[in-house]
Amino acid sequence: MIQVRGLTKSYGKQKVLGHIDLQLQKGEVTAILGPSGSGKTTLLRCLNFLEKPNAGEIAIGDVTVNCKGAGKRDIHKLRQKTAMVFQNYHLFKHKTALENVMEGLVVVQKLLKADARARSQLMLDKVGLADKQDAYPSQLSGGQQQRVGIARALALNPEVVLFDEPTSALDPERVGEVLEVIRSIAREGITMIIVTHEMAFARDVSNHVVFMDDGAIVEEGPPQELFGSPKEERTRQFLKRMTQEWSYTI
Amino acid sequence: MGRRFDITFVYDFIPKLLGFLQITLFIVACSMLLGMVIGTAVALPRLFRIPVLQRVSRIYVSFFRGTPILIQLFLIYFGLPELLKGIHLDVTRVPALAFVILTYGLNSGAFISEAIRAAVSAVDRGQVEAAYAVGMSGFHAFRRIVLPQAAAVSLPAFSNLVIGNLKDTSLSFTLGVMEMTGKSQTLGLATQHFIEVYLSLSLIYLAISLALERLFALAERRMRLHEPDVGVLRNQ
Amino acid sequence: MKLDPGFIYDAFLQLLSALPMTLLLTGVPAAGGLLIGTGVAFIRHYRVRGLHLIVAGYVAFIRGTPALMHLFLVYFGSPVIIDFFARKLGLDFNSASIPILYYVFLAFSLTAGAYLSEFIRAGLLAVDKGQVEAAYAVGMTALQAFRRIVLPQALAVSLPNMTNVVIGLLHGSTLAFTVTVLEVFGKANIVANQNWKYFEAFIAAAILYWGITILLETASARLEKRINRYHRGGVA
Repeated sequence: MIQVRGLTKSYGKQKVLGHIDLQLQKGEVTAILGPSGSGKTTLLRCLNFLEKPNAGEIAIGDVTVNCKGAGKRDIHKLRQKTAMVFQNYHLFKHKTALENVMEGLVVVQKLLKADARARSQLMLDKVGLADKQDAYPSQLSGGQQQRVGIARALALNPEVVLFDEPTSALDPERVGEVLEVIRSIAREGITMIIVTHEMAFARDVSNHVVFMDDGAIVEEGPPQELFGSPKEERTRQFLKRMTQEWSYTI
Repeated sequence: MGRRFDITFVYDFIPKLLGFLQITLFIVACSMLLGMVIGTAVALPRLFRIPVLQRVSRIYVSFFRGTPILIQLFLIYFGLPELLKGIHLDVTRVPALAFVILTYGLNSGAFISEAIRAAVSAVDRGQVEAAYAVGMSGFHAFRRIVLPQAAAVSLPAFSNLVIGNLKDTSLSFTLGVMEMTGKSQTLGLATQHFIEVYLSLSLIYLAISLALERLFALAERRMRLHEPDVGVLRNQ
Repeated sequence: MKLDPGFIYDAFLQLLSALPMTLLLTGVPAAGGLLIGTGVAFIRHYRVRGLHLIVAGYVAFIRGTPALMHLFLVYFGSPVIIDFFARKLGLDFNSASIPILYYVFLAFSLTAGAYLSEFIRAGLLAVDKGQVEAAYAVGMTALQAFRRIVLPQALAVSLPNMTNVVIGLLHGSTLAFTVTVLEVFGKANIVANQNWKYFEAFIAAAILYWGITILLETASARLEKRINRYHRGGVA
């Protein structure tokens, strides 16, 4: 279970997140939607302290961190409960696909190399890249790199996997393969939080949707409710705009 | 080894050493000028891919970059007169300073030619095409479009070469040339305050290096005014 | 006095006896410099409080002064410092028992460390921040991320420059003759003086240094190809 209480974040005087409260159940797939600049990526990055929140409390599994006095140890503990898939993949460029997946297992979780390798191969197989295990990131397409990124996150067996706009850096024809992988792992009951612009995907894959605007949560609920009959005007506006954009591109 | 450290000697030594700064700077200036002439001459065959000469250029550059400057200095100071004797030319009366300048000129020529090559190839090929497209001749395109841009690009490398050359001149004392380092040796021996004298000398070298670096940075900024982001970056 | 090409070969063979010392004077400071350079680069990159200004001063001083000064300052200065502390601590120790060679190692390590730190720093900047975030995201500590993700890539990027530093050390090792350490250049002087064949002796020395330089460059290019294979691109 993930619980966020009173999370705030500002850069200097500019407030990015104002007092966020959020509660997510184990095994749930949460989609965070909202216009760009609404603070959804910042919220995600606060959960593993890639951005340091100014105040509030984050609880993931059995680790609870008070953001104000959070020390290196707290941050480290929290990060071991989470894993992240980045918008720009951020694979380790000097390591092969397999080594990318193994890295955290060997260095952080102190697995034996042989065990780490076996587990990593399993993960690469799961994302359909068993045959690319010795390729370097520069030899992989964007979609393949992102699938390695997903395998790297899954291998850690975290309490929650954080997806930060996993498809927005991809060529349109590569988006499908990555979404398909995420969809298949969602079915396995892995807890996930996904920041995305893919409306149809969010609706289809998630059991909980959070709509954010202006650094605050405007509305949240099950997808059929939020997409079907949004309560808030701002949500309606946003969804309308997004669906209009579709009709143009299609 | 020497006498007790006494900082007051540093104040005493600095003006004495500065009296020989002009000789150091003279060596730097002459050898850099010579180096630019040689460097251009060496770069051209490789830029225009002239057969045979291009090979000679390559070996020249490789040799002067591949051997210690001290060896080059001794080779030319002791070796060249021997060679010239073979063609009945007596250079025993030519002062050591000339050999020093010749060596540093030959040496920096090799490095300058590399800098020129790098700078010319850094200029976008499209610039030359655009110059041709507005009707310029090859010569005009080179002089008015390529050269100014290449000069700006090569300035940081050139700055490093000048400073490197300045530091290398400290070796000319080995041939008995009385520039700053030569003077520091005699001062050290006379007073037995070696640490102070080398500290003084280091401070002078440091000051000149920093001044040169600033000067070149300023020049680069002026030459790159057309690239707005460069100016902004440097200001930060 | 005529040119004696056969003697070049003789001289070359004699110089080989001093080659181990030259290689030692190159290798030890290269290792020492890498250690210092990595430390300094880390301190400056992460702006370690209190230290980063000091190391910035060290780098500026070394880069602004000739290597000869570093050698002289360490050679004359460190015995004074060592003896001072030995007296203070009441140790029965005299700097005279330290071989000259160690001072040369120290001096050249300090020289190389400053230059290497600059190149490593540039390499650190070349590693994008996203990979560090990814390292944190899989649960690494800052030190783990630096050692396993950032440093290997930074070193790979700076390899060509580091090779230049090593070649600089090889060439700079000739300075050791000024403090009576017998390496290839010192030996060349002896061979030249004993036989009155300067040109031949120094040509032989030049060929030796040139050969090692080319060897180092080739090895570095090969190594670069190997460790940069992750930049290869294309589809596997």
